[in-house]
Amino acid sequence: MTPKMKKILKIGAILLIAGLLIGGGTVLYMFNMPHRNVQSTAADFSVNASQLVAEYLENPSQANEKYLADDGDSKVLEISGTVTKISEDFNGQKVVLLKSETDKAGVSCTFTKETNQNVSTIQLGETIKIKGVIRSGASFDPDLEMYENVVVEKSDLIK
Amino acid sequence: MKKSIILSVAIVLFSVAGFSQVSGKLVSSKTHIKFFSHTSVEDIQANNYASVSTIDQATGDVVFSVPMQSFEFEKALMQKHFNQEGFLDTKQFPKAKLKGKITNLSEIDFSKDGSYNAIIEGELTIKGKTNPIKEKGTITVKGNVISAAGTFSIVLADYGVAFEKGKPSTNIAKKVEITVHAEYKPE
Repeated sequence: MTPKMKKILKIGAILLIAGLLIGGGTVLYMFNMPHRNVQSTAADFSVNASQLVAEYLENPSQANEKYLADDGDSKVLEISGTVTKISEDFNGQKVVLLKSETDKAGVSCTFTKETNQNVSTIQLGETIKIKGVIRSGASFDPDLEMYENVVVEKSDLIK
Repeated sequence: MKKSIILSVAIVLFSVAGFSQVSGKLVSSKTHIKFFSHTSVEDIQANNYASVSTIDQATGDVVFSVPMQSFEFEKALMQKHFNQEGFLDTKQFPKAKLKGKITNLSEIDFSKDGSYNAIIEGELTIKGKTNPIKEKGTITVKGNVISAAGTFSIVLADYGVAFEKGKPSTNIAKKVEITVHAEYKPE
């Protein structure tokens, strides 16, 4: 084996190992990739609850096109509205409904275990701003025979 | 005179009975739907707490409307896959729906505390595909809180979710288990 061949072999081996490390690291990262942190993501849109509901009731497919993403990481919204209901879901997360009295539907905002405590300061009737990720739009469901609210999750109160 | 008194008493009694007899729909926005897939390679589960459901006590109609993007997985990558076109295509089909009827409605007393077996027959629509279902569930009445629960399994291929090769074909069960729980309160 000539010194030249040895050198090529050595470089080849180094490249192969580096490639494997990078490839393996990427696969590992992809597999264990953390969920997107909605609160540290910049908001895509700032709307009020009535506007958002109206957009969905007027043209649901256009609204879905605008707000929903293929991979489920849909738009992050800042929504302002009037608090009409505060409840808790089966996962112990607070749910704040932003809905104007004259609207047919509202925006249901689910908080997280980390942001739950911020709901304690919220009063019914108060106008507040919430940031969260949209999951589905508002619509009239003929089987439920009622209007469904826009669903927003991973919410927190914006001051 | 006597007659009219009896008549008015009767009318009052009837109307009271009419009102107390659960007439309206029960609505629930406190729900939990779990998806569970078991294979020898791994167990996968996802949880959804954002569905809306109604039960009509008079007709036995049961409806669940499920926002698909609200399913949460432990692993972010799995959640992304779940939402994408090859899987559930949740942008095109943001909601799944269960629409059924309690077929043994006469055996359920919504005004009396207890646990009742319910048979639900109807259809399930996921990713725009509808299949008939017939499942057993439980309806529990406790005070003014009524809850419904049930577990059933669905074949993913029936809803156009099928994997021929690669990791999904070995790691995701062909048949997955769906657990449903909802708590209804009079509005």
